[in-house]
Amino acid sequence: MLEFIVFFFFAAVAIVFALVVILHRNPVVGALSLVASFFALAVMYVLLDAPFLAALQVIVYAGAIMVLFLFVIMLLNLQHVAEPNTRPVQQFLGYFASATFAAGLVYYVSKYAVLHALPPTRFSTSAQAIGERLFEAYIFPFEMVSILLLAAIVGALMLSGKAAVAIR
Amino acid sequence: MNPWMTYLIWPLIKFSIAFIAVQALVAAMNWIERRLLGFFQARLGPNRVGPWGLGQIIADPIKFLLKEDFVPARAEKVAYYLGPILPLLPSFIVFCLIPFGPPPTFAVTNNINVGLLLIFALTSTAVYGIILGGWASNNKFSLMGGLRSAAQMVSYEVPLGLSIVGVLMLTQSLELEEIVRYQEMNSWNVFPQLVACFIFIVAMNAENNRTPFDLPEAESELVAGFHTEYSAMKFAFYMLGEYSLMIVNSCLAVTLFFGGWSLGMGGIGFTTEVMQKMGWVGGLIGTGIFVTKMMLFLFMYIWFRATFPRFRFDQLMDLGWKFLIPLALANIFVTGIVLLAFPSRLYGDTVIAVGEIMLTVIGMIVIALTLVLLFKPKRPKVINASRVSEA
Repeated sequence: MLEFIVFFFFAAVAIVFALVVILHRNPVVGALSLVASFFALAVMYVLLDAPFLAALQVIVYAGAIMVLFLFVIMLLNLQHVAEPNTRPVQQFLGYFASATFAAGLVYYVSKYAVLHALPPTRFSTSAQAIGERLFEAYIFPFEMVSILLLAAIVGALMLSGKAAVAIR
Repeated sequence: MNPWMTYLIWPLIKFSIAFIAVQALVAAMNWIERRLLGFFQARLGPNRVGPWGLGQIIADPIKFLLKEDFVPARAEKVAYYLGPILPLLPSFIVFCLIPFGPPPTFAVTNNINVGLLLIFALTSTAVYGIILGGWASNNKFSLMGGLRSAAQMVSYEVPLGLSIVGVLMLTQSLELEEIVRYQEMNSWNVFPQLVACFIFIVAMNAENNRTPFDLPEAESELVAGFHTEYSAMKFAFYMLGEYSLMIVNSCLAVTLFFGGWSLGMGGIGFTTEVMQKMGWVGGLIGTGIFVTKMMLFLFMYIWFRATFPRFRFDQLMDLGWKFLIPLALANIFVTGIVLLAFPSRLYGDTVIAVGEIMLTVIGMIVIALTLVLLFKPKRPKVINASRVSEA
């Protein structure tokens, strides 16, 4: 009973704030709503018996990434001006693609969703279990992702350091 | 037990207790800090209201309540009001997760096996209040303060998070109670993790925007930084948030590095078993020990404030990214090697392992080297004109 109340409350919170993110004109409000949505998502993870993921969700997304987003938004000092619609075709394609995706999502979720209690998970979601899986079975993808991130950092340094290099 | 009791009523009761206790402590801290700062600077501090100036604890909140509540023109109203309140919530929730005494003392939420990560997650969101307040005030100085604090807090979360990895490798648990139990059976983590403790203390000062790192509110550059436009009770809320986060961080430092509620190492002294045998008296003693250690850390915050001059912003970033983060990574590396070389750690026994002693020695050498490097007299650096023009 309690679980159902918690689930539906936070599901509603997540969806409402996600809608605010796309519908609100002010980017700061959008970013903050996204943070609220992340928190609601973290509660979902807790309900799914994965508190480790929930904590990481908040640390990484709400605590670090969104702070940087806000930082950039404020640094650019975006005014809330409605931009004129210059690309009607792309806009239509965007609506179409997202509507298709949403319809597909709803269809498959309703087709395969389990509306009763799930059996206990096959593997533990504790930090230790995740760490062992990550560094034993999935060590190669893990390292590939870190190389990807390294490439991104090097790229950012190249782009931002260009002016300085040119002067020297 | 009834799930409503477990998940709703008990946490709410605990939350209320934490709220009241922290309110009282923050009010007291205000007086303690001003008084101590006075002594550090060879003056008396507030000593007029009541005996030893203790009436100041009540006088200050009354003043906050009675001052004009002011909202700047063209402020973003919602964000402006939300700003001071947001940092309060995570710090109060965190108090429900910290074990103040041996297990039966606060047995409401001790079964979270990611307790430490959850605390980090919650405290990492405290920055939003400062950013929001700075942005919503419609003031350039406030905005600068907010931006600075965003950059600073995100940067220093990295060394803060990395510094505890060594502790976790030793204790092999994310539960704060387990970490304390490990320390009382082996040694306080401050010894084998001396470097990590050093990093943690520096980073926690920076996280709280306390004085050597208080650039978000540097009054010589930014008037009062992010809270320039805040008056009366809203300003008091910012202060409350800052001080409760100080208390949270002190609690964390005590739990992670200084043995939590226990007083003794290697299974000798006031350990959990001894306290549990004594019943509720033992619980009180444990809580007393914890609070005493925590107060020492709060004293250290004030001591730092009275001692160190403020960093420049580039110095702050250099310290975080070029010194603390590599040091923290090196600490993880060395800890890992020593733990692999000497896997003879005995949990629940009274043996302090070889590896821990080795780590202690290494840590002392590193800290000594750091101090020598930091305080080596050097000639003032001439600012390179060409570098200035580049920037």
